[in-house]
Amino acid sequence: MEKARIFLTGVGGQGTLTATNLLAQTALEQGIYVTSGEIHGMAQRGGVVVSTILLGGLKSPKIGPGEADILIGFEPLETYRGLPYLVPNGVVVSSTESVAPVAVSLGKAEYPDITIIEHAVRKVASRAILMPARSLGKKAGAIQSGNIALLAAMLATDVLPFGVDALKATIERNLNPKIVGVNLEAANLGAEAALASNA
Amino acid sequence: MPHPLMDTKPGETRLLLGNEAIVRGAIEAGIDCVTCYPGTPSSEVPDTFYRVKHAAAENADYHFEYSPNEKVALEVGGGASLAGAMTLVTMKHVGVNVAADPLCTIAYVGSPGGLVLLSADDPGCHSSQNEQDNRIYGRLAGLPVFEPATAQECKDMAKEALLFSRRTGRPVLLRTTTRVNHIRGPVVFGDVSEPARKADPKPFVKNPSKYVPIPAFARSMRLALLDHLAAVSAEAEQSPWMTERGKGDVAVVATGISRAYMNDALEMTGLGDTIRVLELGLTYPLPEKRLASLLGEVKKLLVLEEGEPVLEREIRELAKRAGLDTEVLGKMSGVGHDFEHEGGIGLPRYGEYETRVAANALQKLVDPSFTPEAPATAAEPVEGLPTRPPNLCAGCSHRALYYAVRQQFGDNAVYSSDIGCYTLGILPPLSCADFLFCMGSSISGGSGMARFDKRPVLAFIGDSTFFHSGITGLVNAVFNKHNVLLVVLDNRTTAMTGHQPNPGVDATLAGENEVKVDIEAVCRAVGVEHVRKVNPNKLNASLAALSELAELPGVKVLIAEEPCVLFARRSMGRKPTVIADVAEQGPAVDACLESLACPAFYREDSEVAVDPVQCSGCMVCAQVTKESEESGAIKARKRG
Repeated sequence: MEKARIFLTGVGGQGTLTATNLLAQTALEQGIYVTSGEIHGMAQRGGVVVSTILLGGLKSPKIGPGEADILIGFEPLETYRGLPYLVPNGVVVSSTESVAPVAVSLGKAEYPDITIIEHAVRKVASRAILMPARSLGKKAGAIQSGNIALLAAMLATDVLPFGVDALKATIERNLNPKIVGVNLEAANLGAEAALASNA
Repeated sequence: MPHPLMDTKPGETRLLLGNEAIVRGAIEAGIDCVTCYPGTPSSEVPDTFYRVKHAAAENADYHFEYSPNEKVALEVGGGASLAGAMTLVTMKHVGVNVAADPLCTIAYVGSPGGLVLLSADDPGCHSSQNEQDNRIYGRLAGLPVFEPATAQECKDMAKEALLFSRRTGRPVLLRTTTRVNHIRGPVVFGDVSEPARKADPKPFVKNPSKYVPIPAFARSMRLALLDHLAAVSAEAEQSPWMTERGKGDVAVVATGISRAYMNDALEMTGLGDTIRVLELGLTYPLPEKRLASLLGEVKKLLVLEEGEPVLEREIRELAKRAGLDTEVLGKMSGVGHDFEHEGGIGLPRYGEYETRVAANALQKLVDPSFTPEAPATAAEPVEGLPTRPPNLCAGCSHRALYYAVRQQFGDNAVYSSDIGCYTLGILPPLSCADFLFCMGSSISGGSGMARFDKRPVLAFIGDSTFFHSGITGLVNAVFNKHNVLLVVLDNRTTAMTGHQPNPGVDATLAGENEVKVDIEAVCRAVGVEHVRKVNPNKLNASLAALSELAELPGVKVLIAEEPCVLFARRSMGRKPTVIADVAEQGPAVDACLESLACPAFYREDSEVAVDPVQCSGCMVCAQVTKESEESGAIKARKRG
């Protein structure tokens, strides 16, 4: 894929922007022109956070409906909400572990059934990797590293001109040495999950 | 540890946020002074200056300050520039309204050291109360306007704008929009310059006829400003920020982030070879000669700009003046803002553009019969999904205070709100925001309401907003004997924009704040007789204070003081020791969940539980259930 638009969506406080920055940094270190954008505004915590990465010379940081080649969802409801931004037959990588919005916690709204979300994703994506990202992160050593597992899973599908090794190299070069090990492990778990989903 | 913005070598490339790139540009220009009031989407600019200053104190040789409001920021910046300092003043678009008074006169007085005003506009209202287009302020005050579109341009244009201002001795407007402030892209670093005040000192030389705008002098200052704008206009004809390319008998002129959408759209549609393209970086004054010659060479010209039809109006007028009948297309084409309206080209006067909007307009420019198809998307939006409105954090003391307010007043009071986290109290069940105008308006707006509404009026304001412009409203309320209860939600920081200090805080990044301004003492000093202070996490104390103050006439102030829970954890190192635990399911817990609506609570099957990751241990919930018969329903247990 020479040019690619990646749409990332999650919940404030999840580390969506940190993950976005790391993926953008990986692309840059691979010599690919990258433009990234983020909208967080009032979402200190608990609101929706949307970010974008555009590779290969695209200048606009905004992704419109039907324009995203890849959708990375850090939370399944947000994956569902973001689905209209996906190009038909795009790639979806999403966590299956939910973070309930307040209205749901209050019993005033219903969280959609996860099987409905999974079905909706599989119906429209050419490739869908759905994985329990937080659990994988926990297994690697830190819940937050589940975001890295998602990025690695996406890269393991070879849709971009660089793969998991490039992400790992960027992790080693840029993260605090104390958390490099956990994140490398999370990348391995994510890549494995992607391969398993292909089976 | 040095800051990455300072230790990166010239020639190296780094991925930077647009706002970070602006900081690097200023440092490369030789910045001396930075003042600001934080506001999204501008906040990372001053925050980065602040961090760079404290991480790299020795080689970051500039003065930095957080100002109580934008007017003060610009006035301090104006004074610094008169003393020869190269100065940057940053704020969000609505902040320029606050600074508009000094702005329109500093343009007369001038800024010999160089003065750039960064206005971060917010088309689409991502985090703002309106989407005003501040390019109009450039015209109103008489400031040249620069508009970057990429991270690299954020750096290069910030530098250029500062140098340009210093060279001309007059202020410049650097106008960005949310997407530009929050773009992230590769930036090639340049050399860092020595601070301008050292490399090329320009000490203040008294000259009242130049710097004191009494009417007699202001008249000639006005003429000098007009001469300046005429000179910039001539310079704009040769601006390196203007690029022209392409061929054909139709043209497009674009500015700001619209340039990014246009460039991607030209590539997407393959129209790049058939359209003449003029990109403008210095967008006021306009290069009229160049534009007139372009207008003369094409049949149709499309203007791509978000917000108001600022350039479009000027270009239409230019065509008329030059006696050209070139068709100019843009927001003003047709009667409406979309393709359904006759003659429209699909460029709205509200919200943001995107690549597809630009592509459709370009297609329509080339082929008037073009009708856009709805984009092919993988899925239609699903109706009725639960939303995630921004919410007060778990353990936020504003929630506790609002809970107490509802206990005391319910719907039988009018709640005047202000700009800050506490505005989020608008959400039910708290429902503590009935109206809002702007930063600092709660006490003054509430005073007006109280004059004509029989119900009690409560005004809510944060500590930073109190210092921003709440004080003046309070002075007025005392002086004019209004009948209003002001609740200062003092969380010891400027929470919503990212924990910037204000004149009342205990500590800043640089250490203890030795001269903090005491809000209670200020209230008493301006003449408020009844001032009470409570810890809002102690419900009984809040309720007692509210009921006592509600009975009193005139201006009353309740200060609810408790640090922002995120700030307490991240910056003050406060570690919560306990956690709320649902000991007994039942109506008391259900009622607590429904009336307090703390996001740490969740319902699983029919049981209510508390998320230990989110719970901050404030134990307000336990106090809420204590009022009921099942008094042990929620208990504190040790964390761990």
